[in-house]
Amino acid sequence: MFWRFVLSGLRYRRRRLLVTFSALAVASALATVLFSVYSDLDRKLRGEFRQNGANAVLAPAGDSATVPRGAVEEAERAGVAAAPFLFAVGRLGGEPVVVAAIDFGRAATLTGFWRVEGERRAAPGECLAGSEAAKHFGLASGQRVDLDSAPCILRGIVTTGGPEDAQILVPLGSAESVSLIQIRADAPRLPELRERMARKFPGVDLRLLYAVTETEANVVLKVGKVLFLLSVLILTITTLCVTTNFSALLLERRKEIGILKAIGAGERAIASLFFAESLTLALSSTFAGYAAGLVAAFWIGKRIFPSASGVLPGVDLLAFFPVAATTLTVAALATLLPASRIWRLEAAQVLRGD
Amino acid sequence: MFLRLVWESIRRSPRRKLMTVAAVALGSAVATAMLGVMLDVGDRVNHELRSLGANLLVMPKAASLPVEFGGISYRPVSTANYIPEDAVPKIKSIFWSLNIMGFAPSLRAHTRIGSSAVQLTAPVEGVWFRRPVESPGGIRTLAGIRNFASTWKVEGAWIDDSERNDRAAECMLGASLARRLKVASPGGTVDMYGAPFLITGTLDTGGDEDDRAFVRAEVLQRLVNRPGQMDAVQVGALTKPEDDFARRDIKKMTPVEYDRWYCTPYIRSIAHQIEEALPSTAAKPVWRVADSEGKMLGKVSGLMFLVAVAALLSAGLTVWSVMTAMVLERRPEIAIMQAIGGGAWLIAALFFFEVALEGAVGGLIGSLAGAALIDWVGRSAFDSSGGIPPLLGPMVVAVAVIVAIGGAANPIRRALSMEPARVLRGDA
Repeated sequence: MFWRFVLSGLRYRRRRLLVTFSALAVASALATVLFSVYSDLDRKLRGEFRQNGANAVLAPAGDSATVPRGAVEEAERAGVAAAPFLFAVGRLGGEPVVVAAIDFGRAATLTGFWRVEGERRAAPGECLAGSEAAKHFGLASGQRVDLDSAPCILRGIVTTGGPEDAQILVPLGSAESVSLIQIRADAPRLPELRERMARKFPGVDLRLLYAVTETEANVVLKVGKVLFLLSVLILTITTLCVTTNFSALLLERRKEIGILKAIGAGERAIASLFFAESLTLALSSTFAGYAAGLVAAFWIGKRIFPSASGVLPGVDLLAFFPVAATTLTVAALATLLPASRIWRLEAAQVLRGD
Repeated sequence: MFLRLVWESIRRSPRRKLMTVAAVALGSAVATAMLGVMLDVGDRVNHELRSLGANLLVMPKAASLPVEFGGISYRPVSTANYIPEDAVPKIKSIFWSLNIMGFAPSLRAHTRIGSSAVQLTAPVEGVWFRRPVESPGGIRTLAGIRNFASTWKVEGAWIDDSERNDRAAECMLGASLARRLKVASPGGTVDMYGAPFLITGTLDTGGDEDDRAFVRAEVLQRLVNRPGQMDAVQVGALTKPEDDFARRDIKKMTPVEYDRWYCTPYIRSIAHQIEEALPSTAAKPVWRVADSEGKMLGKVSGLMFLVAVAALLSAGLTVWSVMTAMVLERRPEIAIMQAIGGGAWLIAALFFFEVALEGAVGGLIGSLAGAALIDWVGRSAFDSSGGIPPLLGPMVVAVAVIVAIGGAANPIRRALSMEPARVLRGDA
């Protein structure tokens, strides 16, 4: 009997309930999106930050002048990107020039900021030149560069605004030790990596580029805060929207309540009737909103965080429970707030039309 | 008569009107806050990103090709080209001077540095730490490496160089250099250029600075006999991320395009303006920093835009549904007006006027509350207050009125098409 009341209540006021339904569905869709984005904003932004170049450097410590190349594999086993660099002074046309030997394959992820004309990497027998070095020596792509150590064919010209501009870049051979190793590790991994490296390679120092690590942490923190505050605002306004709807609904159904009261229903029974109605509505709109929210989160994931890992970027299937809880709370609040009217309503007055 | 009807309607049910206005106000407050934060967040994040370090490096033009790595130079640095120290503050007088957040000139040299335990060759930089300077335009500012040091770990104290003093025997050491020299820091001394220097503190940055010693610019100028000369200036500028237009060759631009490019704070247009202000220098963007900045800004703005769309949607829906509910409730009123001969247009105009009034009042209160919310978000997330951008307030009020009318339109139309008799009998 109770559920028949509830269901017919829903069925006979389809149009009115459609507004409430869509408000709740929008609320849960928003909650899904915000929760999905907010819950792993860290991971998503870190995925993006990986494109920003190194955030740490393995440099020789103490009296040693070089870093053993084995540290690269060790760092990779720890799950971070690492690229070795070996610097030496070569001679070109009788003038000294810094020659940087680079493992182009490994360095690719750390050198995304390079502005390159021509090729980004050089095979054995080929090389790249920094823009200033190229200008100084009058080098052009395709030309032969007569380095004293090993002549090579120039494949590209690199502009970075950093020291690379004045260097000749050649592929790294089989050197056993290198000048430094650039590292890109997700921020939480760094302390663990530092410990691991200190244990295995005492002559090596892991230096954090604080400018990079702290700025990134700061951006994650602040963007997260803004997102959180705005989510709270959005949920508040949605609660209000649903509340107005339900109180209008109650107002409209005064007569119904009056009749129920007149035939002897208790206030609690009537209130629970409405409560069940709104929760049924909330539950169904939660599913609809959740589905819509997942689609939106997926789209956002693909649009804004293309490099975040994961099969379904941006989608957090576990978001359902917090979302359902939020929506149901919103619906419950929205029903309970105007429910006091049920107690105040005089059956005789309402039915007379006053 | 028309206005009297509206006035009576408001006077006789103030509570209901208040509710509607409150709902509109809340909706527009959220919309204002959202848009305000969204328009502003890029700017604020841009400020935060300045802690990445200098994004422009100014060098004398035609300086010889540097041959150095690991902080050691393998060829005597040519001193034929230099940037005059007096000219450095001109950087703050370019077109985009307000976007120049900091600059720090430095003079570079190498020398033997010795402690009681160790002797080694290391680079020394003569720098401004934090020096008050005045640009030709009369802008006073503090310049020096402390502009870029917000993420650096400093042990001990910074050298206070607000007054010039070329006899001050103080230095700061990079953390790695201090470790190699095995000196007590702060408080120890090192020997450079045949004189003892007191170590006031050490710097840990993770970058090249870790292997360097820093002294006052005027001290190094005296020691290496290069008075008034500087080798490089680091500049930190707020920039607009590069787009396709920014990457175009300026030599192929039409005058109009060139003006647009010049008046947009792209990193290369700021570099161009610095080269104009400091003749015979070359300003190069540091792409490692500039690129990261651009990417992070892009992500954050994209994210905020989507959240803003979501918030506007829910705010709009709220106002819409409140208006719908309001008209539905007042159907009997409409029926009575129809019954006593009110024309459909007149009744509609009456209601729309009321709704528009509520929308305007609600929107106005909302945009004021929204300004407070913007400030709140700004202070809780970025530790600095913010205000409502101009034009946003009137815009929100206008949108609130439009959405309110839109929400009321359909129910009014439906109410008007109903038989008054049926509505009044209570069958509807």
